[in-house]
Amino acid sequence: MRSIRRRLTRELLGVSLVLVAGSWGAFFLAARAELIEQFDATLRARALTLTTLTVREGGHLRLEAADRLGREFSMARPRDFFEIWASDGLAALRSDSLGGADLVPPRGSGSRRVVWNLELSNGRPGRALAVNFQPRPEKDQGGSATGAEVRLAVASTREGLDEALAELEGIAAIGGILLLLAIFWGVPRILRRGLRPLDSMAERVSLIGADSLAARLPVDELPAELRPIADRLNDLLVRLENSFERERRFSADLAHELRTPIAELRSLAECALKWPESREASTDRDVLASARHMETLVTRLLALARGEQEQLQVQPVEFALGDAVVDAWAPFAERAGERRLKVAFDLPAVEVSADPFLLRSILHNLFDNAVDYTPPGGEIRVALDAGGGARLRISNTVAALDADDIPRFFDRFWRKEAARSGQQHFGLGLPLARTFARAMGWSLSADLAPLPRFLVFTLENSR
Amino acid sequence: MRILVVEDSPRLQRTLGTALRRSGYAVDLAGDGVEGLWLAESHDYDVIVLDVMLPQRDGLSVLAELRRLRKNTHVLLLTARDTVADRVQGLRAGADDYVVKPFALDELLARVEALCRRAYGTKQPRLTVADLEVDPQARRVQRAGRAIELTAREYLLLEYLARRRGHVVSRTEIEEHIYDGQVDPMSNVVDSAVCGLRKKLGPAPLIHTRRGLGYVLEEAPAPAPP
Repeated sequence: MRSIRRRLTRELLGVSLVLVAGSWGAFFLAARAELIEQFDATLRARALTLTTLTVREGGHLRLEAADRLGREFSMARPRDFFEIWASDGLAALRSDSLGGADLVPPRGSGSRRVVWNLELSNGRPGRALAVNFQPRPEKDQGGSATGAEVRLAVASTREGLDEALAELEGIAAIGGILLLLAIFWGVPRILRRGLRPLDSMAERVSLIGADSLAARLPVDELPAELRPIADRLNDLLVRLENSFERERRFSADLAHELRTPIAELRSLAECALKWPESREASTDRDVLASARHMETLVTRLLALARGEQEQLQVQPVEFALGDAVVDAWAPFAERAGERRLKVAFDLPAVEVSADPFLLRSILHNLFDNAVDYTPPGGEIRVALDAGGGARLRISNTVAALDADDIPRFFDRFWRKEAARSGQQHFGLGLPLARTFARAMGWSLSADLAPLPRFLVFTLENSR
Repeated sequence: MRILVVEDSPRLQRTLGTALRRSGYAVDLAGDGVEGLWLAESHDYDVIVLDVMLPQRDGLSVLAELRRLRKNTHVLLLTARDTVADRVQGLRAGADDYVVKPFALDELLARVEALCRRAYGTKQPRLTVADLEVDPQARRVQRAGRAIELTAREYLLLEYLARRRGHVVSRTEIEEHIYDGQVDPMSNVVDSAVCGLRKKLGPAPLIHTRRGLGYVLEEAPAPAPP
């Protein structure tokens, strides 16, 4: 499994190792070069002193202030050495510290100035610098300024330098190891701390189950990168919770709707068996009514299930929608009259392509609700609008209905009365009508128009 | 024993009414929560059989309101909701029993009877006062080993008095518990029923009149020492 933490750890470790090794190495090399440069600078200073103090006296070379130089290059302290060769290559002057031996001249000594490492006469390692110069003539003798060039070599034991270099290497190695340890210790920790919000979010999300859908991710506590994810997840949870709640309500409602008629049948039968003399003609009518109630319920549930599984056979036919509306209204005209409902039709001629059976079922459900739920003396309006397709609006005055009820209209078994008082309505008509409309490629929506309060159902064919 | 049935299905309401009346209870019926609550508040029922899904006001809120009003009537919830959560919610709301639809009629009657028994603080199925023995399950009455035939109403009266043996029971209480809503409160049905019952119970009087208070069923007090 790919892991962000592992990948980041690997890459961060790699990058920091390269950076640290590079900069630490560069620092070490610079320090080392600086140490050697200082050593060489001392050699150069000595060489300069010697060149200024060397004078040509006749055919010989001589050192001025020989006492001081004698102490510096004495045999007693054989750390610093020099030797001057005349132009013919023969040693003209050499320090006491050399004890009569020669300094090993540099290879390729043609160049003007050269620095090299060498083994000193006493067998110790050393570093030497060689320069060519023209010794100054003795003032008193007023000799010519120009003369043959001589070669001077100055050397020192490099034990001190080597010690300093070894110390530097030691410091560099120990420092490098400590840095590496710090990196290996620090990087995973920093990552862990940085990724902690991700971990805690993962943990919270993993705890969410079907029974804890009310849980929400705390968006405010999360870093900006995770907020969009948490926002979307929270949205999803709200929707999931709603649909779980709807399903839960549906199964509770279904249990109620199916169990009540079974309870009626069972208690009717048990009562009749227990007290045969209590059996009246109404008992059989009740049994029949319960059975028919269940039959209708089961038929509608099956139609709904088939519709939702898109198993409905839709056979579209071209026909005039206005005529279909008038036909569908016919069975309700009498009931509407009994309830003193005012009914107004506005039906221009519109041809539609639809399944006549499904359309009639939809209209039947809508008219059934309109006639039963419009308060006595209320008004029903049916208007057809041909613009861009077909739009049928069935509206009726309503008494007690809130805007909050509208989204629940199409929930299965929903009725304004959470009570199932009216045994005529199952709360399945509207979901069924919407399912049928969708099967035909139509849409059915509900809306509550403000003053005068009208409930408006819009059946629309957008094509 | 007087029972209130609050149930929105008219068919189930009718059947339950018939079954409970046949079992010797006085029964009142209500079809929605508001009517049910009004009846439950205004009468002293022994048991209320309450549907949960009701029009206008659901059963649980009726129950909660009753408990808020400090009504301790035993309530049996009758509902199609059968999940553990629903049962727990119902019982926590103050219900004494919970029956899921569809139910066996005999079981419902037995549970109603058990709640009636509990209403008078006894778990003994048989009620005995001196040599009188009342068996509410079989609805049989014996005195000194001899069976006594009673009408349904007389039996109810005797059972009620026996359940409250030793206590003075007022005429109003008897009316409340034995007769359902159809009795004229000014009539002397209670007095005549008590009179008929005394005759059937035989010579040694068990039902005593407390003048101005009501009746009490108990063993005849020992004759005062001379």
